[in-house]
Amino acid sequence: MKSTINLLLGCLLLPTLLFSQENIDSTTTSTTTFNKFFNNLTGSFESNAQWYLNDKETGQFEEEEHLRANSYLKLNYYFLSNFSAGVQVESYAPQALLNYDKELDREVGLAQYYINYRTNKVDATAGYFYEQFGSGLILRAWEDRALGLNNSIRGGRVKYTPFNFLEVTGLYGNQRRGFDVSNSDIMAFNAELNIGELIDSKFFDQFSMGLSYVNRKEDFESTSLDINKVAIPESVGAYSARLGLSFKDIYTNIEYITKEKDVRLNNIRPDKVSFSENKLFDGNALLFNLGYSAKGFGLNYTFRRLENMSFHSQREDRNLINNPTNRATLNYLPALTKQHDYTLANIYIYQAQPGLYVENYETPRVKAGEIGNQIDVFYKIKKGSLLGGKYGTKISANLAYWAALNVDVTDQDGMPYFSSDNLTYESDFLNFKNKIYSEFNLEINKKWTKNFSSIFTLIDLHYNSDYLVEANGAKVDAWIGIAEGTYKFGNGKSVRLEAQHLSTNDDARNWVGGTVEYFLNSKLGVYFNDSYNYEDSPFIENSKIHFFNMGGSFTKGATRVSLNYGRQRGGLICVGGVCRPVSKNTGVTLNLATSF
Amino acid sequence: MKKTLLIIILLTSSFIYSQEQALGTAIKTLDGKTTSLAEFTAKNDLVIVSLWATWCVPCKNELDAINDVYQDWQDETNVQLVAVSIDDSRTVNRVKPLVNGKDWDYTILLDTNNDLKRALNIATVPLTLIVKNGEIVFRHSGYTPGAEDALYKELKKHI
Repeated sequence: MKSTINLLLGCLLLPTLLFSQENIDSTTTSTTTFNKFFNNLTGSFESNAQWYLNDKETGQFEEEEHLRANSYLKLNYYFLSNFSAGVQVESYAPQALLNYDKELDREVGLAQYYINYRTNKVDATAGYFYEQFGSGLILRAWEDRALGLNNSIRGGRVKYTPFNFLEVTGLYGNQRRGFDVSNSDIMAFNAELNIGELIDSKFFDQFSMGLSYVNRKEDFESTSLDINKVAIPESVGAYSARLGLSFKDIYTNIEYITKEKDVRLNNIRPDKVSFSENKLFDGNALLFNLGYSAKGFGLNYTFRRLENMSFHSQREDRNLINNPTNRATLNYLPALTKQHDYTLANIYIYQAQPGLYVENYETPRVKAGEIGNQIDVFYKIKKGSLLGGKYGTKISANLAYWAALNVDVTDQDGMPYFSSDNLTYESDFLNFKNKIYSEFNLEINKKWTKNFSSIFTLIDLHYNSDYLVEANGAKVDAWIGIAEGTYKFGNGKSVRLEAQHLSTNDDARNWVGGTVEYFLNSKLGVYFNDSYNYEDSPFIENSKIHFFNMGGSFTKGATRVSLNYGRQRGGLICVGGVCRPVSKNTGVTLNLATSF
Repeated sequence: MKKTLLIIILLTSSFIYSQEQALGTAIKTLDGKTTSLAEFTAKNDLVIVSLWATWCVPCKNELDAINDVYQDWQDETNVQLVAVSIDDSRTVNRVKPLVNGKDWDYTILLDTNNDLKRALNIATVPLTLIVKNGEIVFRHSGYTPGAEDALYKELKKHI
């Protein structure tokens, strides 16, 4: 063993020795060595600091720490042509920004580390890693700093590609929770088979399939005294099968997942984690996508049905009151609606409803999942035509409809306002009648001259806040109109103006908003935006109040600094279809991001 | 002792691996085949890499703006633009129809779980790179209207 190591070291050292012989002058050697070290070192640093202020309109900032920062330092080092290693140090000082996961509780700490070996056929990692199987419906480990979410897995993973048409992955570990990892073990396998390449198909542009298995093993401590209680499985597995096809301009993919039986959360006190141990419930998901696209035209249809598909590495994390940031989720269940950039379009946003929850009212309300679909259309009116003009006109539209699963509840031992541990339900497979969200939006993108272009957006939406927020019988029907124009003065100087209006007779009623953005050159820009609720409504906190933001940003190469001052509306912050609630606050924000 | 030796070896490795490995990160084509930026830049001397997403308005503005002058750029510099979408599974199905709907002439690749984005240490999109003979020679994040002119000036330095 020892001689092997020596031989190995000898082989590795040889190029170094040869190299040093070329550089007889020792100072040159040390500088090049130094340079080489830094040439193989890459990384990034990001810091988001906020200074929370008291506000005459919205009141005092009630928490102790007014000045806080979330910072991330990532370093990767590449060596010996196939290896890389890295660390991520995170700091939440003196504590995390408002509404971030409470598990992110260290002023500074080593959050992640890894070592990776990669060749054409093998990719092996020890330490923390990210992963996604298929569309992520069964497994996705990823990082989103804006959401405060990092559910990477600590352990080992090997990807093996024996042939160009086959890739297999195996992994084992614990999932990250704050600065710690889960008390459960995660084991997962995945195989991707590209049949098109295997049979060298001339007919299909894509013909591929995938199979996955994900298992979570966690101890369960029973607290129920009920004689009808059943054994709670430690191991819960999920299976996924999927197929992707593409032929000329048409493409489609389909995925089905089934998740084994597990205990359900009991909602006697919504903020306290407890379980109903008498009945077990399984889950499943079906995703179907069909698209057509040719030059100048594109169309995409997506259908998805989710039933009891919340899958966390620890059962207790399914309680979203204690876990609003969705820490340690094993799968990715985004809302399948259009993602908006404008402030007023982000007031009533749909969030996917995948989990199983029982809410106790006079009769229990069982939320078991969602069903729905969306369609996207993209079209470019040709240059030179009547509507196309000199530069052509781009049109896109999205129509989305989502409903709660229709369920038939049985609970013989229940009584008004209290459901029992014996509650069960049956769900309909295809029933779209319990509408909880719908949206139609149309966007027209038009370049008028070499220097002036504009975007018009129209949104019509229905938002069932009774189901999505709290049971108060409220629903919101609203439409939003947005117009923006950009004028380029040349030399990177430009101005952008944006006007928005949201009309509704529900909730906090009408809003008006606008943005002015001015770029002095391609590096430096300043902006001001405001959303104003100009009508009286029963929702005083959101009535006749300005939510504004002003600031500037400076970008040079890979570094960006921005400074903002503003009042933030309370509500959901969503990135990539995943949302976290934020409370209303006023303050100064400084963001810094750089990479090297 | 062995540790010290190992550190010496690591410090004096005589090649630059970082770019090579980052550009070698596995990403997918629209047809689901595995590829990498390294594979693309090996075939083309001068490449613009743009990391973008269907939900990112400045990204789309940048690619729209370049598309209007892309033919001229190609005639002058023989450049190829590869637009790598970082859309995750929520929006990745929009990539193909959107690209066709906008009539973009770029090579489109997919980085669905953001492995490339992480390897390049990117905080936000859009991010634009110029890659000359497989080496990153220019990097810029963000897009402001008209910034494509500055990019073209930079590009001409590397013909």
